[in-house]
Amino acid sequence: MFEKLKKLFTPVESLTADEARAYINEHPEGSFTLLDVRQPNEYERAHIPGAKLIPISKLSDSYDKLDADKPVIVY
Amino acid sequence: MLSGQGFQQVYNLSGGIQAWEGTVAEGPVELNLDMIRGDETPVEIITLAYGMEQNLGTFYRTVSARTGDSELYDLLSMLASIEDRHKGRLMELHRSVEPSPLSVEDFETRVTATLMEGGFDADEFIKRNDKYLGTVAEVLDLSLMLEAQSLDLYLRFAQETGSDETRRVLHTIGDEEKQHLEALGRLRNDRA
Repeated sequence: MFEKLKKLFTPVESLTADEARAYINEHPEGSFTLLDVRQPNEYERAHIPGAKLIPISKLSDSYDKLDADKPVIVY
Repeated sequence: MLSGQGFQQVYNLSGGIQAWEGTVAEGPVELNLDMIRGDETPVEIITLAYGMEQNLGTFYRTVSARTGDSELYDLLSMLASIEDRHKGRLMELHRSVEPSPLSVEDFETRVTATLMEGGFDADEFIKRNDKYLGTVAEVLDLSLMLEAQSLDLYLRFAQETGSDETRRVLHTIGDEEKQHLEALGRLRNDRA
């Protein structure tokens, strides 16, 4: 029960666009994941360079494609 | 969802892509991924990147040769020289990963890339964007777009490769491209 609640309520920190941009520029590629959880057509129109596309509907089946030890910036 | 699955640091981009004021890339995930097989060695990837840098430099020089605007000529010459500098950095990278590195002359004989950075054909690009190559602001905008596509392509190559060593090389190239993109963005803001 506690674990279920934890999954629902674990707080996620927010970064403003400026903070995210600074983070991306100050950290080497490969040390973090930039994750785009929108639909493919939205990704196709515009995405942050280097973002990995995993639509939110497929995320729960795709945890193995992400490195849990690295910070993830999600949009 | 991620934070409950063992992901220790998850950050939400406040406002999503709409709030993002940096340059964006366009196109589907698979765009230009047919340029690689996925099993390239670090040296093969460096050779590919070198060719694309070279072709982008040639593109800037081609456009500079036809302009009568001295300010635009200076900008295009500077952009071409930045690509030359990137080629130098790629040679350094080649020397760092290859136990028996080639000379620049021998290395260049192996370069076969016909496309420029970002996966664009130079002639086709000029034809399609001719009307946007007339002013400093337009060229800076196009240059930013090219560099964003280029960074995105290197990082999608990195997602695609099966080799950790090649991925590291692609990430190193991506870091260079990020710095270049930021510098170009500052230059555009200064000139705007």
